[in-house]
Amino acid sequence: MQPLGEQTYYELLEAPVEGSPQQIERAYRIARATYAPSSTAVYSIFSADECAAILRRIEEAYAVLSDARLRREYDARLRRSDLRPGVPTTSAPPAGAAPARDPRERPPAPPVRPAPPDPDVEGSLAPENGVFDGTVLRRIRVSLGIELEEIAATTKINELHLRAIEGNHYEQLPPPVYLRGFLKQFAKCLSLDPNHVADSYTGRMRESSARRG
Amino acid sequence: MGGGKGGIGKSFLVANLATVAARSGRRVILIDADLGGANLHTCLGVRAGERISLSDYFEDRVVDLEKVAIETPIPGLRLILGALGHTGKAETTQEQRATLLRAVRRLPADLVIFDLAAGTDRSTIDFFLEADDGFVVTTPEPTAIENAYAFLRAAFYRRLASALQESNVRELIRVAMDQRNERGIRTPADLLGAVEQIDHAEAERFRRVLEGFRPHLVVNQVRDTEEVKMGFSITSVCKKYFGIDIDYAGYICFDDNVWRSVKDRRPLVLAYPTSDGALYVRRIVKKLLGT
Repeated sequence: MQPLGEQTYYELLEAPVEGSPQQIERAYRIARATYAPSSTAVYSIFSADECAAILRRIEEAYAVLSDARLRREYDARLRRSDLRPGVPTTSAPPAGAAPARDPRERPPAPPVRPAPPDPDVEGSLAPENGVFDGTVLRRIRVSLGIELEEIAATTKINELHLRAIEGNHYEQLPPPVYLRGFLKQFAKCLSLDPNHVADSYTGRMRESSARRG
Repeated sequence: MGGGKGGIGKSFLVANLATVAARSGRRVILIDADLGGANLHTCLGVRAGERISLSDYFEDRVVDLEKVAIETPIPGLRLILGALGHTGKAETTQEQRATLLRAVRRLPADLVIFDLAAGTDRSTIDFFLEADDGFVVTTPEPTAIENAYAFLRAAFYRRLASALQESNVRELIRVAMDQRNERGIRTPADLLGAVEQIDHAEAERFRRVLEGFRPHLVVNQVRDTEEVKMGFSITSVCKKYFGIDIDYAGYICFDDNVWRSVKDRRPLVLAYPTSDGALYVRRIVKKLLGT
């Protein structure tokens, strides 16, 4: 159990040391919401001052771990030491770190990179009948705590299209060639197999059209 | 299955998780340990009436605990009623609890689930700490979350007090349980620092308690993504405050079918098997039991 001032940036964000940029981003978003002044989760446990101190450390950690170069340097310092010298002893971020973000500001969109399929997501959240329709995609997204607007910001797909995908509103969807690309990007954000999701969704859509004649 | 607050769906969850487990072929026995307000039987469609209950066991009218387990409408699922006996006593002695727990370990069952009372009284916390897997249930409301933390805090300090032996250290834990104590011990981290100054071996035992205390969390009545994230936030607060790793086992979405099933006195997973609520119950069981 490390006091706050001695925790590594990964411990502060509760993100894995090998975590992808998306995992760092997601951990940061959750941490920021958790220790925000209006948060219900800290009520009765931490005082406003304690939350503010935790938030300052979280912003400091994020400023380093969200910057590829600073993160490499920080990781190298962590690896070099048997103790925990990678952790600054002062609250000032290391040289070159981006200034701490105002907690009220929206976080930037995470970089658009495919996340590897997550076996836990595939295993415990996969649909019982094997079909990835809009309802199932929505359930998986919500269970991961990801807002639709975050996916829109990451993928640059219009939120209305994403809503239509989740709502199975086939008549509002773009032409098939675009739809397939959208579905694959959506699936990547949820750590699902992109081709499987695109095949499954469009297959269900064709079945539905055929039934309607 | 505990959680500090009443009315957050503990009995609903116990009844439904047990039904899913029983239908997958496991022998399941439920124990309604809410002696003052038992109603697990109603969630399962069982009428308590004057039937045999835990009180008969505590008052030595029945020696074999298995004989207290009555059948339910669900094959493979039996229930030990928590209804009050003629004496009307809701409290149990430590000796009674120890005897019950020894008998529970001998029951012919693959899974035994205790439905605990609201609050943090000694018997509730003792049953929770004895479990191989302890579940804390909350809803996303501040009142329920506050009580969930109070429950975890009581369980954590009780486990600590029973693991550490040095009298000065035990006295320190007693002081630390009062958050406004004069020693300025605010968090378990502060307490660990204070224990370290008294006795290194005890501090090492303290760390082992931290490592071994891993309750599961279920958030019930979730309405949106924000409330799903509440589970992640609670685990974060527990990590930063207590230094313990909580497993966010899952959540159950708010579903009108839940109260309908309670009104029908049938588990949701049987009454409305395709409902969203039933889906999320099955997901939790799948994660925990691999069913």
